[in-house]
Amino acid sequence: MVTDAPIAMPTDKHILTLAQMFSPAFPVGAFAYSHGLEWAIDCGDVTDTTTTKHWIESVLQHGSGRNDCIFLGAALRADTPEEVAELDALCRAFAPSRERLSETELQGAAFCDTTKAVWQAEFGSLCYPVAVGRAARALDLPLELTGQMYLQAFMSNLAAAAMRLVPLGQTDGQRLIQELTQLTSAIAPEAVQADLDAIGSTAFLSDIASMKHETQYSRIFRT
Amino acid sequence: MTGGDAFSFSAHAAADTELTMTTQACERAYKAQPGQTGRIRNRLQIAAGARVNWLPQETILFDGCALERRLSVDMDKDASLLMVEPMVFGRHAMGETLTDVHLSDRIEIRRADQMLYLDAVRLNGNAQAHLAQAFIAGGAGAMASVVYIADDAEARLDGIRTALPETAGASLIKKDVLVLRILAQDSFVLRLSLLPILRRLNGSDLPRCWMT
Repeated sequence: MVTDAPIAMPTDKHILTLAQMFSPAFPVGAFAYSHGLEWAIDCGDVTDTTTTKHWIESVLQHGSGRNDCIFLGAALRADTPEEVAELDALCRAFAPSRERLSETELQGAAFCDTTKAVWQAEFGSLCYPVAVGRAARALDLPLELTGQMYLQAFMSNLAAAAMRLVPLGQTDGQRLIQELTQLTSAIAPEAVQADLDAIGSTAFLSDIASMKHETQYSRIFRT
Repeated sequence: MTGGDAFSFSAHAAADTELTMTTQACERAYKAQPGQTGRIRNRLQIAAGARVNWLPQETILFDGCALERRLSVDMDKDASLLMVEPMVFGRHAMGETLTDVHLSDRIEIRRADQMLYLDAVRLNGNAQAHLAQAFIAGGAGAMASVVYIADDAEARLDGIRTALPETAGASLIKKDVLVLRILAQDSFVLRLSLLPILRRLNGSDLPRCWMT
C-alpha cells in the first residue's frame, strides 16, 4: 500500500499495550495449542532444534504465519461491519482442519472478551488475526509492529511447545526464538500491507499434521 | 493450456438433480511465453436438493507454466458436493522437473452466500526445490484436495481415515464438511489411494475415463 501519510512512530503507550496483548499472561490460552507440531514431534519428524526450526519456518513463511498477518492487516483496513464479517468468514473458511479452526476461533473469542473488558473495544467474536486487526484499529496501534508482535508471539508459542515436547533446553529454545524473530520481522511488515489475493499456502505437511493430531492417541495440546 | 489462454466453464445443477463432471484426459499446463499467463475460471451452482460430483482428472504442470485457476462453487444450504482437484508437479518418470513455474490455484465454496471453504495454493519459481522441503511436501510429486459436503460427511470420516496413506490427512471442518489432502510420490501412487476414496464418496464407480 502506498501512502503519502508519514508513518507514525509507535509511542511507549502503544508498545506497552502490544506487549500486554501478546504476553503469555493475556488470557487467550495460546499455550494450549501446538498447530499440529505435537503430532510432528510424536511421529518422529521433528526431533531436535534444527528440525523444530524448519517446521516453524515452513509455517511462518508458507503457511498460517504469513496468512494470519495478511488477515490482520486487512481487518485493520476494513471500514464497515460487513467487510469485517466477510473477512472473518474468509479467515475461518481458510482453516485447513477442524483443530486449526478451533485454534483461531477460541483464541479469537478469548481475545475479544478481554479487549472488551479491558479497553471497552467491542467487536463481537472474531477469529484471532481478524480480532487483533480490529483491536489495533480501535486502539490506534501501529500496524507493522502489531503484525510483528503477533507473529513473534505465535512463533514463540510454537517454540515453547517444542521446548516441552522434543524436548529442547531453555537456552537452545531462546536462541531459536531469537533467530526466528529475524524471520517474523521480515515477514510481518510486508504481509500486513498485502492484498487479500496474496493469501496462499503450501505448508501442506503441517496442515496434514494438524489433521492427524485429531486422532493422536496421547496428547498434551489441544491442537 | 498455455500462457495467454483463457477458459471459463460454468455448470448449474437444478433442484433435486445430480450432475457428475470429469475431464476426458489430464489437463496440461505447458510452458508459457514470458509474461503470459493462462487463466481458467470454473463456476458451479448447486440448487436445493441437488448434488454435484466434480471429478476432473489430474492437472499436470510443465516447467515454465504460468497458470491462474479459480473454481467457485455456490451451493444452496441443502445441496451436496463431492469435488477433487488432483495436481501433478511435473512428470517425474520423464525426468521433468519444475524449476520455473507460476501457479495460483484457488477454490472457493460458498453456501447460502457464506464463505464455507477456501483453498489457495501459490507456487512461484523453483517448485521442485520448494516441494522437496521436509515440512512443505517432503518431495511429493503429486497432490490432491478433496472436499465432500453432504449429510453423511461425519459418518464417512473414520472409514476415509483408515483408507489414507501416511502422507495424507482428513478432517471434518463442519458437521457436514469433510476435507482431505493427499500427497504422493507421483501421479500413479496418488491414484492408488485417491480412487478408492473417490469411489467410496461417489457412492458408485467413477466416470469411465478415470479407469484408463
